[in-house]
Amino acid sequence: MEWKKLFKKTRRAHSELDERHSHPEVPKGLLKRCNACKAAILTEDVKKDYYTCPKCHNYFRVHAYRRIEMIGDKNNFEEWDRSLPEINPLHFKGYNEKLIYLKNETKLDEAVLTGRIRIEEQEAAVGVCDGRFMMGSMGQVVGEKITRAVERATKEKLPMILFVCSGGARMQEGIVSLMQMAKTAAALKRHSDAGLLYITVLTDPTTGGVTASFAMLGDIILAEPGALIGFAGPRVIEQTIGEKLPKGFQRSEFLLEHGFIDRIVERGEQRQILSQILKLHKYVEKTALNSESFRMAYGLSKVFGNAEETKNAYIKGKQQEKYLSAWERVLLSRRKDRPIGTDYIQGLFTEFIELHGDRYCKEDRAIVGGVASFHGIPITVIAQEKGKTTRENMKRNFGMPSPDGYRKALRLMKQAEKFGRPVICFVDTPGAFCGIAAEMRGQGEAIARNLYEMSALKVPVLSLVIGEGGSGGALGIAVANEVWMMENAVYSVLSPEGFASILWKDSKRASEAAEVMKLTSRDLKKLDVIDQIIPEPEPLTRDGLYPVLCSLRVKIDAFLQKYQMMSGEQLSAHRYLRFRKM
Amino acid sequence: MIKKILIANRGEIAVRIIRACREMEIETVAVYSEADAKSLHTQLADEALCIGPSPSVQSYLNMQQIISATLITGADAIHPGFGFLSENSRFAKLCEECNITFIGANSEILNKLGNKSEARNTMLAAGVPVIPGTKDPVYDVHHGEKEAERIGYPVMIKAALGGGGKGMRTAFSADEFAFAFQTAQKESSMAFGDDTMYIEHLVEHPRHIEFQILADIKGNIVHLGERDCSIQRNHQKVIEEAPCEAISEKLRRRMGDTAIRAAKAVHYVSAGTIEFLLDKNDQFYFMEMNTRIQVEHPVTEMVTGMDLIKEQIKIASGKVLSISQKNINIFGHAIECRINAESPDKNFRPSPGTIRTLYLPGGCGIRMDTAIYSGYSVPPYYDSMIAKLIVHGQNRKEAIAKMISALGEVIVEGIDTNVDYLYQILNESDYQAGRADIEYLNTHLQ
Repeated sequence: MEWKKLFKKTRRAHSELDERHSHPEVPKGLLKRCNACKAAILTEDVKKDYYTCPKCHNYFRVHAYRRIEMIGDKNNFEEWDRSLPEINPLHFKGYNEKLIYLKNETKLDEAVLTGRIRIEEQEAAVGVCDGRFMMGSMGQVVGEKITRAVERATKEKLPMILFVCSGGARMQEGIVSLMQMAKTAAALKRHSDAGLLYITVLTDPTTGGVTASFAMLGDIILAEPGALIGFAGPRVIEQTIGEKLPKGFQRSEFLLEHGFIDRIVERGEQRQILSQILKLHKYVEKTALNSESFRMAYGLSKVFGNAEETKNAYIKGKQQEKYLSAWERVLLSRRKDRPIGTDYIQGLFTEFIELHGDRYCKEDRAIVGGVASFHGIPITVIAQEKGKTTRENMKRNFGMPSPDGYRKALRLMKQAEKFGRPVICFVDTPGAFCGIAAEMRGQGEAIARNLYEMSALKVPVLSLVIGEGGSGGALGIAVANEVWMMENAVYSVLSPEGFASILWKDSKRASEAAEVMKLTSRDLKKLDVIDQIIPEPEPLTRDGLYPVLCSLRVKIDAFLQKYQMMSGEQLSAHRYLRFRKM
Repeated sequence: MIKKILIANRGEIAVRIIRACREMEIETVAVYSEADAKSLHTQLADEALCIGPSPSVQSYLNMQQIISATLITGADAIHPGFGFLSENSRFAKLCEECNITFIGANSEILNKLGNKSEARNTMLAAGVPVIPGTKDPVYDVHHGEKEAERIGYPVMIKAALGGGGKGMRTAFSADEFAFAFQTAQKESSMAFGDDTMYIEHLVEHPRHIEFQILADIKGNIVHLGERDCSIQRNHQKVIEEAPCEAISEKLRRRMGDTAIRAAKAVHYVSAGTIEFLLDKNDQFYFMEMNTRIQVEHPVTEMVTGMDLIKEQIKIASGKVLSISQKNINIFGHAIECRINAESPDKNFRPSPGTIRTLYLPGGCGIRMDTAIYSGYSVPPYYDSMIAKLIVHGQNRKEAIAKMISALGEVIVEGIDTNVDYLYQILNESDYQAGRADIEYLNTHLQ
């Protein structure tokens, strides 16, 4: 009903209240406008939310010193190499004046800030680019500062962290700027060869010559959500190919999907994630790992004490064991409620950080990998993952990896080798994925490469078949010093269905095939294909995994005690002989 | 001086504030969400401005938008009503920074009272009784026993992370303590993975008694007597009245003095309410202080003859109180019923929709504060209260009779309301005899 015009309005008259001067106005700096959603936002909220828009969560660019405050421990930053002499190799007109102007305006000496930072008590060398200074572009001074920081980190055995934000090479310095790409990359190679950790955090924007040098060389590459990351800028690409680019092209999420970054990290969790990564890469003397004091410090004996009791209890319950046919075991290994890779990862390890991508083409979700802690010992963990629900099954491609998955696994194993940490793989796949794209990207090559490289890894490798061990797809992560099998897992050259259809032209005779194929844990133990059978309660479900985890913990500890003592050469020789005798 | 007020609220209270402003010849600005374009407050105000989509987060809670609306319309003050931003210290601070008068307590007071443990300590220091309890967490049963002895039985044992009755037990004597404590602690470890416990004195069958106060910038403070808000359903007040018949003149004076002391302790300015729990032995404990105008303020207005919204505006514009404690007389008895758009038969589920037919009662001592009209659509986004029916009689008996009569006249068609439920409570003999405590509705009439 429209009553608006019917109601009489307030008479404008002098009120009985006293006169008072009041002129409402918004003080300067109280409010901002978000450049993405255009909403009015409170400056204070922006700061509190780590320089993101409280309404649309858009990420604003952060000044270098603010970044240090956000990431590091309070008042613990030591700046390096401030005020290196500036150069103007092309005698570019107006360049010197521009530098002077920017120095005054930003209180920075160049587009990057370097120094020593502490993150939750852990030291690291750090570099932070600042977009306000000529869009963070890399000239000679930027390249020099980064190189010096990397060299110093190499010398002092510090991990290196770089927060990247850059338009690329600095045009005003021409070819000299191009050479900085090679210079920084070379310094980082030496840092890496010294066995040290390098993390990059890519922020908006990371483009051009910086992407093609230090930005993409991290052992671990993190990125902020929605950041533009690419070599050629989107406008240049559009003009060159004469096409409109798809939405989300060259954003962090796009790169994650295409295997180029390890994970996307929100600003609010960056400090914690960086700290966790540093902790998992802390240098531990190999000999110290098995010392009693180390074990005590991580509460290992206590945990295992309890575990032993639980284990005994559940083994007692298993004494009246009934006979199961091979086919029955095949069906058990495929049960919907059987624990999957991530259940083991979550149950056995702490501080798991998942790392994504093969750094070539694609992120394959049929393989999950990352770094985790096994009672204080860093471990590289790799698992073939089927997923629990139908939706997850689809996402994980029912645990059938593509070449990208094997390449990701190999990348993580090589990383483990660099940092001297053991590798534990959980095998659970019907087989490597059969598909056009998989063949185009070289499924066979990817598996072959894994067998080849895994055989010579200089760190202990353990593979555990937890469900289906389907053919080459399983072997691709099972060239290990020891291969264990869950009691009701299966491991075979081919699925029983496939076997029956090839030999007898009838896939319905799968149950018969299963008996012939010798694919159960007991058969394989007799054939010396596997080393250990892990007993399981019947039926093994996700809810009933706990006693299995307890016994696995004891066994893994024993495995690590034995193999951590061996040298890299001994380990690869051991693996060679293990498969040589087959 | 305030010439134009923006009302940052909706519904019945926005209309109530606009009416007070009209009487004071202050211009009014209504703000509204998209769902409220046809609400009475937007039509009655001199100006109206849409501030965003229907969900309150994007409209009535959108501070920047409300500040902008204030600047655009040239209003010099904001009345926040109740709920929404009325006790938000951030918002009060923003108003202060923008030189806008916030009609309510200032941000400093809001901060102080918003922090429960700090408020408790301030009150303790000012000699205001609070419910005795442990300050530090208790983990072990022997320590707990000692604390319970000090606090005085009966005690309530509460898990720090507790909720929904989990990890909560009562012990009426030392014999029961150990068992109750261990059960509560075990429950908490199982449910929340935490065994941190607190112990507090259990106030048995309490009444919810609150005192209305007014305080000006010169530090003058008066109280306007109490309201009994014990008739509650799931911690929501349903019926309020003033005065409380269970309170003697002597106790009223004692509680009133305490309320003023509590307000002084935080250097309070504006209208405010001090909430107490009163047990059967006339022991009372401070619960919290509300800095907003309250839903049930009309019952105080009826028995004192004062207009609390006008008083609030006058205080905000710097005026000194024109009355002193001895001039305040409580006359007769007033009762307020909250009429909600909800279905008591369907577990009090909200019942939004269009009102087809509406008839509201009137007559001597009957007051209806509402924003609904025939043809109005109750939106589903906000609180379900649509009207307050207030009656004033010579005494409680007459007030109850008036309320029963008036409720019997209310006709709202098109949506469900709780009018019949209220009618039923008013006719209960326990209610009529004044025997109801805060557990009453939870144990009767469910």
